[in-house]
Amino acid sequence: MSKTREVISSGNDLAALASVDAGCTFFGGYPITPSSEVMHTISDLLPKRGGAAIQMEDEIAGICAAIGASMSGQRSLTATSGPGISLKAENLGLAQMAEVPLVVINVMRGGPSTGLPTRVSQGDVAQAKNPSHGDYKSITVCAGDLAECYTETVRAFNLADRFMQPVIVLLDETLGHMHAKAVIPTEEEVKAGIKPRKTFDGPPEEYQPYGVAQDEPAVLNPMFQGYRYHFTGLHHDALGFPTEEIETCRKLIDRLFRKVDAHRDEIESNEEFMLDDAEILLIGYGSASLAIKEAIVRLREEGIKAGLFRPITLWPSPEERLYELGQKFDKVLSVELNQGQYLEEIQRAMGRKDIQKLTKTNGRPFSPQDIIDKVKEVF
Amino acid sequence: MSLMKAPENTPVWTNEDRCKACDLCVSVCPAGVLAMRYDPHSILGSMITVVAPEDCIGCNECELACPDFAIFVADKKEYKFAKLSEQAKERAKKIAENNYMMLGA
Amino acid sequence: MAFNYDEYLRTNKMPTLWCWGCGDGVILKSFIRAIDKLGWSKDDTCVVSGIGCSGRFSSYLDMNTVHTTHGRTVAYATGIKLANPDKNVVCVAGDGDALAIGGNHTIHGCRRNIDITLIVINNFIYGLTNSQTSPTTPRGFWTVSQKVGNIDPTFDGCKLAEAAGASFVAREKVSEPRKLEKVLQKALAHKGFSYVEVLSNCHINLGRKNKMANAMENLDWIDSITMPKKKYDALSDEEKLNYLPTGILKEDTEAEEYCAMYEEVKKAQQGLRPKITPDDFKKKI
Repeated sequence: MSKTREVISSGNDLAALASVDAGCTFFGGYPITPSSEVMHTISDLLPKRGGAAIQMEDEIAGICAAIGASMSGQRSLTATSGPGISLKAENLGLAQMAEVPLVVINVMRGGPSTGLPTRVSQGDVAQAKNPSHGDYKSITVCAGDLAECYTETVRAFNLADRFMQPVIVLLDETLGHMHAKAVIPTEEEVKAGIKPRKTFDGPPEEYQPYGVAQDEPAVLNPMFQGYRYHFTGLHHDALGFPTEEIETCRKLIDRLFRKVDAHRDEIESNEEFMLDDAEILLIGYGSASLAIKEAIVRLREEGIKAGLFRPITLWPSPEERLYELGQKFDKVLSVELNQGQYLEEIQRAMGRKDIQKLTKTNGRPFSPQDIIDKVKEVF
Repeated sequence: MSLMKAPENTPVWTNEDRCKACDLCVSVCPAGVLAMRYDPHSILGSMITVVAPEDCIGCNECELACPDFAIFVADKKEYKFAKLSEQAKERAKKIAENNYMMLGA
Repeated sequence: MAFNYDEYLRTNKMPTLWCWGCGDGVILKSFIRAIDKLGWSKDDTCVVSGIGCSGRFSSYLDMNTVHTTHGRTVAYATGIKLANPDKNVVCVAGDGDALAIGGNHTIHGCRRNIDITLIVINNFIYGLTNSQTSPTTPRGFWTVSQKVGNIDPTFDGCKLAEAAGASFVAREKVSEPRKLEKVLQKALAHKGFSYVEVLSNCHINLGRKNKMANAMENLDWIDSITMPKKKYDALSDEEKLNYLPTGILKEDTEAEEYCAMYEEVKKAQQGLRPKITPDDFKKKI
């Protein structure tokens, strides 16, 4: 029995399919180029399987409806692009604070502002780390090829339920609209790997949704099953009721960080491509990594030994591995379709200021030649 | 219907832990049954008091007007309420003119 | 025996944090009495509230409760209801929450005619944050953001709801709790979007600086600017400018409810019925 299947599809369609296969039963969103196809596809898939999809009146309502459905206990999705994340920011913060799982697909496009709606960029990476105000720990994953548009979305649902918070899945216009062959897991494989959110089975009088260990997320039972508690964006006590008590507030924020930091091994995911014997380290992610890999193959044909470190989970960043690589490699080039948003994190993690950078913000993808030329120029 | 046990032989009773001394119940009572007494322990310095239970007509206005679930009226089937008298109406008027405080306090 | 409100309340959080005499508590009581008469189960009910003093409404109820971001009450509730169409979902929002920042979501909740009841607690001000002008603050009133007198015109939330497509629209007030309870009962039982505006007193913030510093005076003022719909309809256009009609202003039991129509979408997607066409609807445009 095969564990994989071949499909011909686009990144957006694969993200929609992945959501439904991963047990998502609700979509709330709003049309925005280049993510609209996620909504179009899922608005057919969900009602077919008894779920619900709704196009709300604006971006903000889109995420609110999705968070509401998730609060009631269902796996829930919203999809948008950069301007939509900006609008959704306040409610992303509520989901972080109230510990509501949610998968947020961001198909990145040229920015800032209206930018280049039909063209590619990776310009929302810094935003994904802190889209909303206040202190919380973002989990952001980034698909690096067509198949990962599917697999990373599936992983995002499991991460969201495990850590009880929003997980941002970064695609970009190239991947979202790329229509090609992908090898993805079968639906059975995905279903077998579903890890639903934890629930409390004891008597309702003893239930304390937010009364958990300092390195664990809240345990939020679905609504309408006899466990009645309160969701709020205010600081809250173990039952979810608003409070300003000094120790409770301190511990709540501390736990929002620790629940992620103490389990980075469950979140971190990287790809190391031809890194073992490499002399030049390239760092990139998303659709840019496709060009980087091709560039590496061509450079090696000329005897230049380059390799790629590709973070798949962007936030929290793989800072320990980055530090190790920074110690090992003299020559490091960061390649991003933005002005160096992840470069800042690389520099911070490595403790170095001499990282080279190749940036592009005119809505065009990198060609392998762009990267080859840059490598030859700086090294 | 969610019900609780009522105190015996009582037309109207209060929960002083919840009363915030807003005066609303006193202001709506047509029979001068209710008034505020001075209370140094209450935030606003006064507390609800049932001053003339024998005149209570069971109209339920006080219970419905109270925002704090602090005053309750007996069931007509379980308590024989009084009829509204001129004397009671007069007392209600005087209490209102006295800033809702008990008369002769 | 007497009515046991505690059954529906998170009693360990009482007394409420609302000011003495605040209408929010009266509305909470009316709401509890209404759902008790309807026989609603606490487990099957979700109450969603917004930001403001009225935002605390949900936290005092022993039900599935949600306290959302400012203005987004109806949007959250739409998600909860569409994902759980057989459950009871109620929204509570203030005049600022529902009609200013949340105006768009209120409009579209009405438009969809989704089976949610929106209780707008209209106290004519932004009370919690100390008296800023709201879309219902009368002109000429003192507000902290317009200290020499408010010049912002008001609009009629009930008219907005009617125009946007709500199938049940009503207005009541805190000084008539019996009527309020009756209307709430009807609104909650109604299948479709019910918009109920409840005029309430914020004597501590609005009232104090506008010559009605206690609950009774504030409620008297509300009584002086309202009259039952029948009487209101008989007024001249000029007289109408100074009153708000109370009672049930619209009741349409025929309009298609959103979740019920979404069940048809599910059937159509599953091949159990033909595609939905304009002929499935009374109102075709």
